Amino acid sequence: MLQCIFLLSDSGEVMLEKQLTGHQVDRSICVWFWDQIISQGDSLKLVPVIASPTHYLFQVVREGITFLACTQVEMPPLMAIEFLSRVADVLTDYLGSLNEDLIKDNFVIVYELLDEMIDNGFPLTTEPNILREMIAPPNIVSKVLSVVTGNVSNMSNTLPGATSSCVPWRKTDLKHASNEVYVDLVEEMDVIINRDGALVKCEIYGEVQVNSQLSGLPDLTLSFANPSILNDMRFHPCVRLRPWEANQILSFVPPDGEFKLMSYRVKKLKSTPIYVKPQLSSDSGTCRISVLVGIRNDPGKSIDSITVQFRLPPCVLSADLSANHGAVNILADKTCSWSIGRIPKDKAPSMSGTMALETGLQRLNVFPSFQVSFRIMGVAFSGLQIDKLDLKNLPSRPYKGFRALTRAGEFEVRS
Amino acid sequence: MFTQFGATSESLSKASTMMFRIGTDAHLYDDPDDVSIVPLLDSKFDSEKCEALKRLLALIAQGFDVSSYFPQVVKNVASQSLEVKKLVYLYLLHYAEKRPNEALLSINYFQKDLGDLNPLVRAWALRTMAGIRLHVIAPIILVAVGKCARDPSVYVRKCAANALPKLHDLRLEEHSASIEEIVGILLNDNSPGVVGAAAAAFASICPNNLSLIGRHYKRLCETLPDVEEWGQIVLVGILLRYAVAKHGLVEGSIMISSRSLVKYNSEREDLEPCLARKENPDDISSEICSEIADVVSRSYLEGPEKYLSQLSCMDKNPSSMDISHFTSSKSNDDVKILLQCTSPLLWSHNSAVVLAAAGVHWIMAPKEDIKKIVKPLLFLLRSSNASKYVVLCNIQVFAKAMPSLFVPHFEDFFVSSLDSYQVKALKLEILSSIATCSSISAIFLEFQDYIRDQDRRFAADTVAAIGLCSQRLPDVAKTCLEGLLALALSESSNGDFASADEEAVLVQAINSIKTIIKQDPPSHEKVIVYLVRSLDSIWAPAARAMIIWMVGEYNNVGGVIPKILPTLFKYLAGRFTLEAVETKLQILNACTKVLLRAKGEDLSILRKIVGYLFELAKCDFSYDVRDRARILKNLLSHRIGSPYLEEVKDQPEIEDLAHVLTESIFGGQTKPPSCEPLSYRFYLPGSLSQIVLHAAPGYEPLPEPHSLIYDESCNISTDVQGIKTSGVGVAHNEPNENDDSEAVSGSSDEENTSDYSSQESMSGSSESGGSGSASDVNDNAGPLIHLSDADLTHRNRVEVSEENDASGSNGVDELMSKRDLESWLDENPGLNQNSLDLGHVQRSLARISIKDFGGLVKPKSYTLLDPANGNGLSVDYTFSSEVSSISPLLVCLHVSFRNCSKEPMSDILLFEEESNRSPDSSDQSVSESSPVSRSEVPTLVPMEEIANLEPGHTLKRILQVRFQHHLLHLKLVLGCNGRKHLVKLRPDIGYFVKPLPMDIEEFSNKESHLPGMFEYIRRCTFTDHISELNDKYESSLVKDNFLLICEKMALKMLSNANLFLVSVDMPVACQP
Repeated sequence: MLQCIFLLSDSGEVMLEKQLTGHQVDRSICVWFWDQIISQGDSLKLVPVIASPTHYLFQVVREGITFLACTQVEMPPLMAIEFLSRVADVLTDYLGSLNEDLIKDNFVIVYELLDEMIDNGFPLTTEPNILREMIAPPNIVSKVLSVVTGNVSNMSNTLPGATSSCVPWRKTDLKHASNEVYVDLVEEMDVIINRDGALVKCEIYGEVQVNSQLSGLPDLTLSFANPSILNDMRFHPCVRLRPWEANQILSFVPPDGEFKLMSYRVKKLKSTPIYVKPQLSSDSGTCRISVLVGIRNDPGKSIDSITVQFRLPPCVLSADLSANHGAVNILADKTCSWSIGRIPKDKAPSMSGTMALETGLQRLNVFPSFQVSFRIMGVAFSGLQIDKLDLKNLPSRPYKGFRALTRAGEFEVRS
Repeated sequence: MFTQFGATSESLSKASTMMFRIGTDAHLYDDPDDVSIVPLLDSKFDSEKCEALKRLLALIAQGFDVSSYFPQVVKNVASQSLEVKKLVYLYLLHYAEKRPNEALLSINYFQKDLGDLNPLVRAWALRTMAGIRLHVIAPIILVAVGKCARDPSVYVRKCAANALPKLHDLRLEEHSASIEEIVGILLNDNSPGVVGAAAAAFASICPNNLSLIGRHYKRLCETLPDVEEWGQIVLVGILLRYAVAKHGLVEGSIMISSRSLVKYNSEREDLEPCLARKENPDDISSEICSEIADVVSRSYLEGPEKYLSQLSCMDKNPSSMDISHFTSSKSNDDVKILLQCTSPLLWSHNSAVVLAAAGVHWIMAPKEDIKKIVKPLLFLLRSSNASKYVVLCNIQVFAKAMPSLFVPHFEDFFVSSLDSYQVKALKLEILSSIATCSSISAIFLEFQDYIRDQDRRFAADTVAAIGLCSQRLPDVAKTCLEGLLALALSESSNGDFASADEEAVLVQAINSIKTIIKQDPPSHEKVIVYLVRSLDSIWAPAARAMIIWMVGEYNNVGGVIPKILPTLFKYLAGRFTLEAVETKLQILNACTKVLLRAKGEDLSILRKIVGYLFELAKCDFSYDVRDRARILKNLLSHRIGSPYLEEVKDQPEIEDLAHVLTESIFGGQTKPPSCEPLSYRFYLPGSLSQIVLHAAPGYEPLPEPHSLIYDESCNISTDVQGIKTSGVGVAHNEPNENDDSEAVSGSSDEENTSDYSSQESMSGSSESGGSGSASDVNDNAGPLIHLSDADLTHRNRVEVSEENDASGSNGVDELMSKRDLESWLDENPGLNQNSLDLGHVQRSLARISIKDFGGLVKPKSYTLLDPANGNGLSVDYTFSSEVSSISPLLVCLHVSFRNCSKEPMSDILLFEEESNRSPDSSDQSVSESSPVSRSEVPTLVPMEEIANLEPGHTLKRILQVRFQHHLLHLKLVLGCNGRKHLVKLRPDIGYFVKPLPMDIEEFSNKESHLPGMFEYIRRCTFTDHISELNDKYESSLVKDNFLLICEKMALKMLSNANLFLVSVDMPVACQP
């Protein structure tokens, strides 16, 4: 079980420590940890499980904040990692985003949350809806009140009823003036295109995100027109698994507010909406680069905020890049980003330029890979379609909304 | 002062963000101690208290020790404001251990809070109180937890479950029983939320008390999908352990199929290298890499440390399991339900749950069903980066043991440039272990891309992976080699200013080439030549060293290499001084090898070159090179014809010795890579140990299969509590839940007879007589002692014992003299009858049967005839505990006849003395009272005559004798060679003891008559035993001291054949 949780800032400063069991962990462990991070560079920052001389450390890094948990005994490492991610999620939800100042400013809330989320090293209440009822998130009203009246408690005086109900993710007595429910299909495209331009991997990682503002205890049924295209899926605990196994129907009592109903994967897609064709040729110390971007498979809706990013190889001394559309930026860490936005009707965007290699190096021996991002509103590129959404157990007719969005996930073009 | 300054200037710099910070606790964090805190704490306004507490919290967060405020803070525990309470609790928990005395002050308030109407207040009070780690208040907390475990609020019960490990953590032995009891109550809770927390408590308090799980197993499985995610993770692990302990491994699962495969392959193993079996990974037979799977399954069961240590002392211990240990997932309901209930968890959105469920299927599911876990596992890879790494570590083990699972999904392991280095390396390793002939081309295409990746470390790993692939799939070795050669060339072309990372790729490429060539040197001769040619352009010392090593090693392979040798060595000698140490050493080694093989004119050229090289090396800067040169020179003296060692030349035997030495050091061809024993460490899937690759404290391998046994039929057929123990695991029969209190109290009920029978059990044979209890189900590998339930065949038993007694009551009282060994051996028929009647009504028999004991008993040997008296015939006898087949009154003797003389003997026979037959021997009062039936039993069952006994030979006979009295000798006549010797058989009292059923009252009555015999009283208390029994009717897997003592005493008793009265109070508790 976890013994201690530390929150570390970008610079390795310990912002918070929360001891969880009687075996207190000295914060010198953080010094050791940060020394390791500094001496081993970024690679260690990405190792989630570290065995220090005295403790096993689990780390999750979000927006520069390191969530560090310690234990001395055997426990499922994924449990620790999932829990830390959950803490990060909840904090982001409470504070709006995550950064050093926000955590320091709201340290009392962070303490209260941590205390509620984990007891004696074992997770206690992690359901965001219940937490929200027990500990009120900071909002502008409470802030103003606290300025005016001096102090306002954010602790709830009563135990949320949901803790004892059979649907622990939902408040028992919810009332909304307008009953509405929105279902969004958010898909991310993971693509790898190899140096020969062949599509090595092309799949969709999708999520069904629901925003429910419904009164009472509604019972929802969501069905897809073509559920057979789904390869893998994971469900929110509220989903009843039997109906899915039998008829591939999602039947659930939704939590209040936004939540991720399910995530799925559709594999082996045949084409991508856009193409990115990089060409690099190097000779006698210089390298010519040209990148072409265009629409390959028109999804029917406009493709937004296209950017192409790549990291200049370390052997490149300087680069001179220009584009006929959009802006090219080279950042300090040799990351080059070309933001195109929308593809114009009349011309195909292209970027070209030269790069000077290190002296003595004739040809380029390592090649960058290009990360592409884009966004298509209104289209679920996997082709998944929602058939219908039935609501039962509702006092009035609710408003139902459906949206879809496809964006690039790990879209990678190698050169 | 200055710190304050710094703080203000800092906050000024953050002026821009000030707007957003208004209304937050920012100012408290930035300068927590700018006002004095103590007055605030003493304030009567909650808001001021709050502020003070927040300041203290800020100081704690920043790592300051503010325990000095403890007294002031503790006072505020009484506050009615929940916020103040919460903040005080946060503070208290942080410092309670440091300030125990002040912390005690708060206990009263907690106790008051525990009675609060608000469940939140109750829960908080319990949490905080349990978190104050003070031994003094442990009993109070225990009571509180017990109360809260029955609280109407789910939340409070959950907190109670979480409080249990805190209590357990204090290591209060006397409370452990009651803690476990509460765990049992909470496991039985109706709310899935509580069950999850209870499972966590179970895992940290008494993970081995699996019998506690057994009671609720089915229900736990069924609620599993409703338990909250964190509880699921723990519960899944517990259920898996229980299923393994109870039912053993599943037939056809990865844990077993590998074993049978290994057995099957074991003969072939010596002949072929293990690679041969992997030749066709698409083939079904090699669907599983049996060797690794075997290591995996053993590691899971025994822990890798133990397994590896076994490996080192004996290279392959035979599989100790037989087929009866295995269960089937189809026929066994418990296993089936476990697999059924864990399959929906594979869809959980918590990756830890998915992995835990996958682990269960990996271990328990038949291998054709394991496929189910593949997709969910792969889908986990799309979750966060942190969990990706952990999941890949586990997939790596799965893929190694059963590559076929992941073969169709190789594309999922393609590396993305956003992956961290560790993830990339893991993916490469998995790819190289699941590559098949059909997928290898696609994988190689990917590898080509990776080689040009910016991360050169990763590129080098890719090259190594290519080498691994070609090792697994010899078909592609040629393609690999070409690719690697091209790579080596291109790498070397821009090598002049290459960094260390760049070099790594080249070195790795040469290394991979080396491993490929090793498999079949003659066919790759050209490659070696090619590499030698490119020596000019390859500058990395490690790479050069490897090429030169190859030349030395394969110097007589094929036709081309020997020809280029002189030129090559001329070139090397010319550049020798420019080389790195590593390369120099290899050059010296290589030239030695070459010189050994060289013939004809090459020899003379080479000799010169070698001589020159040695001269150069003599003056080298490096010690190593100089030393190496000196050694080699001396060894090679006969080949070089060195002038320095002429005196050696005169001594041909030394020269020969040097020759032999050189030959054996350098001449031997390296053997093809043999299968090194697998020294991977495998831990249970999803465990921390698997990630850090050493056993983390608290890691436990799976329990021994079948260590938890009880027969369920028992519960149905009888209401009597049965106990069954094996040496490792102790399990108590579980009566139906409604009955258990009754059943347990029953055994201590006055009406019950307890029968501590040791009749058959003490016998050396392994049959456990009429009890027919489940102990026989156990195999011979089973433990020494069984505390078995005799009531399986309840009626049967009673009948049998009745019969025994019917015949015995006659026999017994004949056997015993009322005058001598008064009350103990004396049997009152009336009483006996009485107890038997009682037995009919309600009878609880516990039987300690000790099996396989005969081997350990060393019976006393008595001399019947001395060789001095018997003309060289020596006769010894020992008592045996076998029961006579003719009459229970007969005692069996092993008589051994030994001829110590020089002549053969004939006609040896033991028979009764005539006088013995006379029915009226006055000194035997027994006979007077004896019934008629008695005379039907002969004094001596006629022995088979020994016709001839050769000198020095020994013959054994079994004699069945009826002693008239336990103190009287039996006079016999031993006939030998026509002469008669009078001999006396001395009875041994130990073999007259027969089991008698007796109730407790009677027993203590009898016992009170006994004093005056050899009295030796020792008392000891086995608390652990009692507590286990007390708590529930199962005990844990700990070694049972009680049985150990029983075993010792039984052994002593049987060896000495003396009488002891061992009275044992069986600690069977009454449940309220």
